[in-house]
Amino acid sequence: MALVKRIIGLAVGGALLLLPIISLPAPAAQDKCYECHSTLGDAPSKAFLVDVHRSKGISCAGCHGGNSATDDMDSAMSARAGFLGVPKGDDISARCASCHADESKMRSFGSSLPTNQYANLKASVHGAPAVSGKGSIAQCITCHHAHGILHVKDPRSPVNHANVVALCASCHSNAALIRQYNPSLPIDQLEKYKTSVHGMRYAKGDTKVAVCVSCHGTHDIFSSKDVRSKVYPTNIPGTCKTCHADADYMKAYGIPTDQYEKYAASVHGIALLQKNDVSAPACNGCHGNHGATPPGVESISAVCGTCHALNADLFSKSPHKRAFDALGVPECEICHGNHGIAPPTDAMLGVDSAAVCSQCHAPDDSSRGFATARAMRKLMDSVSVTEQRAGLLIGEAEQRGMEVSEAKFQLRDARQFRLQARTAVHAFNEQQFSDVAHKSLAVSEAVEGEARAALDEFVFRRTGLGVSTLIITVLAVALFLTIRRIEKKPPGTS
Amino acid sequence: MNTLWKKTYAWIDERVDLRQLVDFMGKKYVPVHRGFLWYYFGGVTLFLFIIQVITGILLLLYYKASDQLAFESIQFIMSKVQFGWLIRSIHSWSANLFILSAVIHMFSVMFERGYRAPREITWLTGMFMLFLGLGFGFSGYLLPWNELAYFATKVGTEIPGVIPIIGKPVMEFLRGGPDVTGATLSRFFGFHVAVFPGLFTVFLGIHLLLVQRQGMSIPEHLEHEKLDESKRMPFFPNFLLRDLLLWLIVLNVLAILAVFFPWDLGKKADLFASAPAGIHPEWYFLFMFQTLKYIPSKVFFMDGEVLGVLLFGLAFALWTLIPFWDRRTARGSASRRVTYIALLALMYIIVFTILGWLL
Amino acid sequence: MEDSHSLTPAERSKRDFLKYLLTGGLLAWLASVIYPIISYLRPPQQTEVVVESVKVGPLSSLAKDSGTIVRFGNRPVILIRTATGDLRAFSAVCTHLECTVQYRKDLSVIWCACHNGKYDLSGRNIDGPPPRPLEPYRVVIQGDDVYVSKMS
Repeated sequence: MALVKRIIGLAVGGALLLLPIISLPAPAAQDKCYECHSTLGDAPSKAFLVDVHRSKGISCAGCHGGNSATDDMDSAMSARAGFLGVPKGDDISARCASCHADESKMRSFGSSLPTNQYANLKASVHGAPAVSGKGSIAQCITCHHAHGILHVKDPRSPVNHANVVALCASCHSNAALIRQYNPSLPIDQLEKYKTSVHGMRYAKGDTKVAVCVSCHGTHDIFSSKDVRSKVYPTNIPGTCKTCHADADYMKAYGIPTDQYEKYAASVHGIALLQKNDVSAPACNGCHGNHGATPPGVESISAVCGTCHALNADLFSKSPHKRAFDALGVPECEICHGNHGIAPPTDAMLGVDSAAVCSQCHAPDDSSRGFATARAMRKLMDSVSVTEQRAGLLIGEAEQRGMEVSEAKFQLRDARQFRLQARTAVHAFNEQQFSDVAHKSLAVSEAVEGEARAALDEFVFRRTGLGVSTLIITVLAVALFLTIRRIEKKPPGTS
Repeated sequence: MNTLWKKTYAWIDERVDLRQLVDFMGKKYVPVHRGFLWYYFGGVTLFLFIIQVITGILLLLYYKASDQLAFESIQFIMSKVQFGWLIRSIHSWSANLFILSAVIHMFSVMFERGYRAPREITWLTGMFMLFLGLGFGFSGYLLPWNELAYFATKVGTEIPGVIPIIGKPVMEFLRGGPDVTGATLSRFFGFHVAVFPGLFTVFLGIHLLLVQRQGMSIPEHLEHEKLDESKRMPFFPNFLLRDLLLWLIVLNVLAILAVFFPWDLGKKADLFASAPAGIHPEWYFLFMFQTLKYIPSKVFFMDGEVLGVLLFGLAFALWTLIPFWDRRTARGSASRRVTYIALLALMYIIVFTILGWLL
Repeated sequence: MEDSHSLTPAERSKRDFLKYLLTGGLLAWLASVIYPIISYLRPPQQTEVVVESVKVGPLSSLAKDSGTIVRFGNRPVILIRTATGDLRAFSAVCTHLECTVQYRKDLSVIWCACHNGKYDLSGRNIDGPPPRPLEPYRVVIQGDDVYVSKMS
């Protein structure tokens, strides 16, 4: 009994001891190369120990060529046996691609990996020629390393989520290196990333946050100015959306996932995504890209103001700035929204239920805000209505064939002042608003006057014709009667 | 009023001796017959010409004949000058009615053989006035310097250019250069307001003088009868009053046209733009334009267009010289051949004008 | 004229009526013709043709480093004389929301007052919402006069 226990204990202990060895990848049936080189203790063979290729039964010869069945150096590493030595430049990636781009070969190893990496890499920005002249900027091994290649999910892999940021930064934060390729390309992405929400969570070990490859792609990386790039302005919302619109993925974070939906229907979204206007902001326009963080409550106006400078300027000088900051109210957002910004309408102004001013201002408020809002809306309506009326009258006159092109031209000014008045609203000052609005009214009224004059002229012409016709008829009748009278008498008498 | 009139008349009579003239005019008669109505057309044409002169002079006060300003000056007349729209539209409508009336007048004279002796010079001056009228129309059409006019002038001045030997110099003379430019406008303006009116006045003077001197042409079949009272009407005052009545109605028609069918201005001419589709000359040139389109590009050894132009030239020359080759009428016998020729010409012109309009 | 004593009173009054009708009609007609002609001859309020498209004026009237808006048909065109004396002309219709732009001497840009759009002096949109550059127009100097026309 004690002997059985000892044997079992030995067996278990031995098994435990052997576990590391057993857990090692199964070596190739015949990998004499590795056997010899590992005794040399060189770095590649040390690394190759954990390599995923080794576990699949691929020998050194699988990449380097030659005969892995013999340990005779000369015959193993002979050119006749197909030995390639250490591939250089583009040959490296070509070597990897000889299997990894071959669908059937990959299946034969039981792999479900994609096979387009090599093609993508060649077409990508990293596939451009290196300044050394020896092959492309990046080969497969640049990121995946040569001998200790691990699955991307393996936490030791350089392309694993936890390590990939440092990997990209190893080149992209190197000013001297990047300068050789694109002197104006920034190298502060990592620094910025560290300040971002993504970066801060990443530092805490979050495995779901965005890292470099989440947005830029892996093998198919293009310059942000290239329309094929995932970070080309029109593509950015779609890229951010892959995580931020996925409710399940974002469940743990407690933030909304409707931003894309709202944005796509917004004035910015329509401009960018439907009209291809790349001056419209994508997500990064307001949130930043590498330093992506929603703007703070007090800085919203400044952020919107990078494009909407006039409105931001007026707002900053208005009483709302101090009031909003004190109340912690998000500046532009509280009236215009953040993601789902709709084209502003006159209905937003005023004191009725549809207006945004009524969100805060009540009839009895001491700030005169209610009165100001009401007055501005009234004036705005008057401006719109007058301009519209002038336009209609001009159209009517035109339709009647009257020449009113000069008045029509003037109407542009009315519209211009009206648009400027809409901007002036953001000063939240009745006098300032009124000054601009009245300019528009003045022009509209003048144009209306001219249109009415043209219509009056139209009527005048027809009336005049009627009167002339009447006179001519009378005269004609008189002439006719005179002729008749003359011809009653003997003709020839005058 | 009456005494004032009498006094004025007496004053002039003392100095100029109007008695003979008045007696002579009192004896002027208009024969009354089936074709009586046609006698009005000469007067209507004259009236329309007078309208053209008056409205033309008024337009001259505001029109600017430079390629930079012409279009705008007409816009100005149409929109800023009081009754400018009226004057301009009347001028444009009256131009077309003038040509129509002149052509009717000519054909009626043709059918009634009014050109026969002693009225050959009357016929000739009339034909010259018709050609001048067409010249008025062609030159005046360019003056607004709008898109249609520019291209119509381009095409129109191209055509005489095909005449062998003299064609190119004639074209360059008309255009004021190899192309239609502001120089063409200046030139056409000069023709329109000075050269043509001057020539026209001379021919008109001769024409009217002759008509007064020789009296109205009496149709051949009535020639040998002594016209009694039922078959003749005194020119003064009976026919004249009727003339005036008709002129009054024509004036009213012009006013109605001006108000309800104001003349278009279109787009300003752009020398660098391509011609809009369907460019064609004014209706009175359409029949020639359409005919030229049908002539094949090569007829025997000749360029089709050249042949067309020369044939038209020949046709107009023969038509103008008809008093001299219509032997039968000169002899005093009926010439049905001329009637057929005239009918054929009329049909041809009408049909081809319609074709030119529709196609 | 015929002997008025041979007429009956009815005929006489008819004749008088006709005379009045004729005279009255004639006078009215003359008035209806002369009134428009006199009105026509009176110079209108705006005495000169508005030169809409072409001639802007003499070169000497355009100061260096200034801009002016010219009406070109029913579109505004901005004509700029740069500090070095160059003449440039562009459509003054902002490519953002069609306001009329102006020359800002202090910023050396073409500026749109509506939403702070900016264009450089070659018409390129350099700041603010405008998505496209301004359409250029051709400037020609003939003698001393400056003409603006469309680019062909």
